[in-house]
Amino acid sequence: MKHELVNKPDFDVLVLSGDIDLHHSPTLRERILSSLKGGRPLLIDMQEVSYIDSSGIASLVEGFQTAKSSNLHFGLLSISSPTLQVLAITRLDKIFSLYETEDSFIEILEL
Amino acid sequence: MAATKLLNFTFPASPEHLCTVRTKLRDTLGSARFPQETIDCIVLAIGEACMNIIQHAYCDGDCGDIVLEIVRQDSCLVFRLTDFARHKSRQEEMQSRPLDEIRPGGLGCHIINEIMDEVELLDCGNRQGNILQMKKELTS
Repeated sequence: MKHELVNKPDFDVLVLSGDIDLHHSPTLRERILSSLKGGRPLLIDMQEVSYIDSSGIASLVEGFQTAKSSNLHFGLLSISSPTLQVLAITRLDKIFSLYETEDSFIEILEL
Repeated sequence: MAATKLLNFTFPASPEHLCTVRTKLRDTLGSARFPQETIDCIVLAIGEACMNIIQHAYCDGDCGDIVLEIVRQDSCLVFRLTDFARHKSRQEEMQSRPLDEIRPGGLGCHIINEIMDEVELLDCGNRQGNILQMKKELTS
């Protein structure tokens, strides 16, 4: 897994790529939670994620819950097909806020 | 039709080896010309099963290997994961948890049960370790 945190004016984007499994999910969890500690909305760019297992999904769920308890927007951007498959099996596709573009996330922030 | 062994692969039960297991699975199932969607589902389910062994069977400092066997039997693929852990797994541990509880963790068994048609812990007798057998009907 590769990751890069991009600071936008009103939110952060965590860009992920490659495979996310038990070897990488502790790093993903740490990156998400440390970003949310800054008190800014977080968008996770999943477009280049080639594989994610339930440990990676657990890191996303923890981020979602932490953001919710801090009243911060938390979304997933450009979900790749392998990620969508796992979210659908676990029925979390109905729980996460999914965005096709960064602009649609910005629209939500401006409401 | 006789059973055909497609793979017998032994690897250390540690997270950094999960990537190698996925590559082996993709190569083996790809050579047998299974549809990509089927391969992706199987890779996910076997990855979850390996993760369960790493996290829950080889626990409390116990470590060892996992053996992954794949056999094609008529229209069915049989996957067998053998570990040599001190912990004895129970069939109840393979059950899914309620999905309406939104919390991290505990989704692996649900994923395995959704993808595979049969999931069963085989009796190892007095031998240390566990054998998890999963079956996937290729027509389903």
